[in-house]
Amino acid sequence: MKGTFIEGVSGGDAETLNWLLAADATSFSYAGMCFDSLATYDNDWQVHLRHLAKPVEVSDDGLTYTVTIRDDLKWSNGTPVTAEDYVYTLKNLMFSDWLNYAYQTEWQEEVEGETVFVEVELVDETTFVIRRQTVDPEFVDNAIYSLTPYPKHIAQKYEGDLEAFTEAEEFNNLTYTGNLGPYRFKEWIRNDKYVVERNPDFYLGQETGAPYFEEYETKLFGTSAAVLAALEAGDIQHCGIEPEQVAKFKQMEGIKVYTVPTRAYDLIVYNLRNNGWEGLQDRSVRQALSMSIDKQTFIDQIRYGFADPAFSFIPGPSPWYTEEGVLKFGIGDLYDKEKAKEILLEAGYGTREADGSISIHDKDGQPIKLTLVTTTGSKLTEDITLFVKQELGDIGIEVDFKLVPWPTQLRQYMMNKVPGSEQELNYNNGPDAVSEEPWDMMVLAFNTHPIAPSGSRVFFITDGGLNFWGYSNERVDELFVRVRSEEALDPEVRKQMYAEISRLIAEDQPADFLSFPSSNQGFQENVEGIDPGMRLGWNHHEWYFAELE
Amino acid sequence: MKRGGLQNYIIRRLIYAFLIAFGVVTITFILLRIGPSSPADKYLANISARTQNPARVIEAVEARYGLDKPVIQQYFDYLVNLARGDWGWSFSTSLPVIELIRRHWIYSFQLILLSMLFASSLGILIGIYSAVKQYTRTDYIATFFSFIGISIPNFWLGIMLILVFSVQLGWFKTYYDTGLPMFSLANLKALILPVITLGTGMMAGYTRYARSSTLDNLRKDFVKTARAKGLPERVVIGKHVFRNAILPIITIIMFDLAGVVFGGAYLTEIIFGIPGLGRVSFNAIFANDYPVVITITLIGAMVVLLTNLTTDIVYTWLDPRIRYD
Repeated sequence: MKGTFIEGVSGGDAETLNWLLAADATSFSYAGMCFDSLATYDNDWQVHLRHLAKPVEVSDDGLTYTVTIRDDLKWSNGTPVTAEDYVYTLKNLMFSDWLNYAYQTEWQEEVEGETVFVEVELVDETTFVIRRQTVDPEFVDNAIYSLTPYPKHIAQKYEGDLEAFTEAEEFNNLTYTGNLGPYRFKEWIRNDKYVVERNPDFYLGQETGAPYFEEYETKLFGTSAAVLAALEAGDIQHCGIEPEQVAKFKQMEGIKVYTVPTRAYDLIVYNLRNNGWEGLQDRSVRQALSMSIDKQTFIDQIRYGFADPAFSFIPGPSPWYTEEGVLKFGIGDLYDKEKAKEILLEAGYGTREADGSISIHDKDGQPIKLTLVTTTGSKLTEDITLFVKQELGDIGIEVDFKLVPWPTQLRQYMMNKVPGSEQELNYNNGPDAVSEEPWDMMVLAFNTHPIAPSGSRVFFITDGGLNFWGYSNERVDELFVRVRSEEALDPEVRKQMYAEISRLIAEDQPADFLSFPSSNQGFQENVEGIDPGMRLGWNHHEWYFAELE
Repeated sequence: MKRGGLQNYIIRRLIYAFLIAFGVVTITFILLRIGPSSPADKYLANISARTQNPARVIEAVEARYGLDKPVIQQYFDYLVNLARGDWGWSFSTSLPVIELIRRHWIYSFQLILLSMLFASSLGILIGIYSAVKQYTRTDYIATFFSFIGISIPNFWLGIMLILVFSVQLGWFKTYYDTGLPMFSLANLKALILPVITLGTGMMAGYTRYARSSTLDNLRKDFVKTARAKGLPERVVIGKHVFRNAILPIITIIMFDLAGVVFGGAYLTEIIFGIPGLGRVSFNAIFANDYPVVITITLIGAMVVLLTNLTTDIVYTWLDPRIRYD
């Protein structure tokens, strides 16, 4: 046990350690240093029990989940963590109106058109039961495994008083976490650093002595150049490395770089609503556009080779990933600008000239001008925009781009309502709703839960809460319902459903899925115990400093 | 000057400051709350499949911070709380605003104070020396470097200093370490590069001003008289010229101080990872954390008013001919 491990980060700080009030990933990541959840995954998606004493028991009908927690978990005052704390956290905090937990939907289900919470029941000191009325094979992965309790004996003091709960010192300074995690809160200087210190009582460390660092510090930097300089100088032990810097750091003595897959994908969304270019409503036109954008060049030149081509929304490391029958636009035979022009001609958007060439124009014979919207402040999205402009320019389609701040993009381009109606702006106000500003394409990046991808339905089903682009396919809607039903309890059946969804979405091309980017993670050479992969850090309590010769 | 005149002047300025504070709070509040952004936007910054119902999430967050009330009511609630001494809760950092300021002001203060001391003392000395040695090699060198100093953007200088002195030579850490005791040599050492970064441009400016102001005064009759009386050159420059030459530079230093407090230190804080008020306010602006933005804007305005007042008072001390009655 020695040394301080410093992870350099360039980006925003967490919002709160009182995680029930948080919605940003950094807050969960900071707080998560001090307590585990019920279970976690490794890079091969094997489940590792954490606060669970044994795997969650699921009844044959898939409706009842019996959760048994370890009996050696303790709060900081020495009292045991019991199933009652979990039941209280769920029923009195997460499901409550007064607290308004941002991710309540994870614990809700649709029953006869009504949204209801799952039922939770205490069984004994270490056991509680969760009952659903509808089957969801991914409920364990989406909700249960990530559950962690608040101490009932403290939370009760603040129950019903949001202001007091928000300002509660115990929750904001994580003074209650006992032996629940590898570290204990030490210090948080906003916009500077978050420091946790080794927890000698860590429930998983009693035999192994883990964790092996005395302190684990997350240090915030104002620029990515400053983080990389700190790694190079040896002032920090770990940070992410931008693709264009990887070659330099790989050659550097004393530094090792791991390239790991991520759960993100970048894509160009087509506006299928009424204020997008009319041609985009034609599937063959969308296919032709995607056929004109070379994914390999995109990956090589813009992602510096650190990405895999994407054709749908499920990333390669997911057990549900398939390429079978999925159309691969932008790669191989399906990257073909001449063929794209032929398709556009056939759809009525071109003329064959006397020399046999095809000139592309809209149905009135005017040049096609598409508006591509992207967020300001990101070199990557600006590069993507220029690349798309160039690729589509080659087939005779002009692309104008609009760089707008994220709040503007959200409110004026993504949120929509039916014109003239009294509707409040929302991300999907039905098929006739349109955004305030017209647009045709948008550069974005989304995430998929590799084990439980059904959450992504929010983007792809007709009434999905984030389906701002207006995509609709009845069969896709049906499959996203069935993937959360009893028949999908059989993994083979579920795999076939995801395969069909992937095929349908790839064929429909509501968006040009560009790539699944990898991330590059640099470490000082003496950091050992790392298990590189998509879940890098899943075992961070086992990392240690090796003595260098 | 009459003591009563100055007192009345200070009282008038303090009343003036109060009115300005009210104006700053009102304008900042209106600008932040009528803009298209909402503090809840950050909840959608990384669109995630977890956000199954984004509208509900936004509603929940807005209700939590009272942002669902009419803006005018939010404004009056804010004013009433201010009158009670409650500066509000920073929802982007989960701290009372006043506690957030209390924790971070010292980082900006030490950086700004040391930079101003560095810039003004060296700048004025070099400027005067350069004027006294006009058209010598020393003067040319000082002029050359002051032009370079004025031209170098401080973010570039900061990065270069880190690359040379931290990464290549290893003399300093690549970032400012908040773990160091505030009043220690180690802390002073950690501030050397940030102070050079922030202070170089200002120092070069003061060199130019001090040089030209000194040259002006060297030509004045009182200098000729002093010299004719046989006073040593050290006394002529140190006592007669210096005191007159410094007057306009003080105004410029005070203006710079206001500029630095209002954002000039921000880039230096970013480059060296110093968690000062510049970074706090920058992050608060992006998070739409209006209680923090208003408070820091108000502090900036008060610093400007206070520095102006101090300048006026210092003037009366340096030049007894100046009166405010």
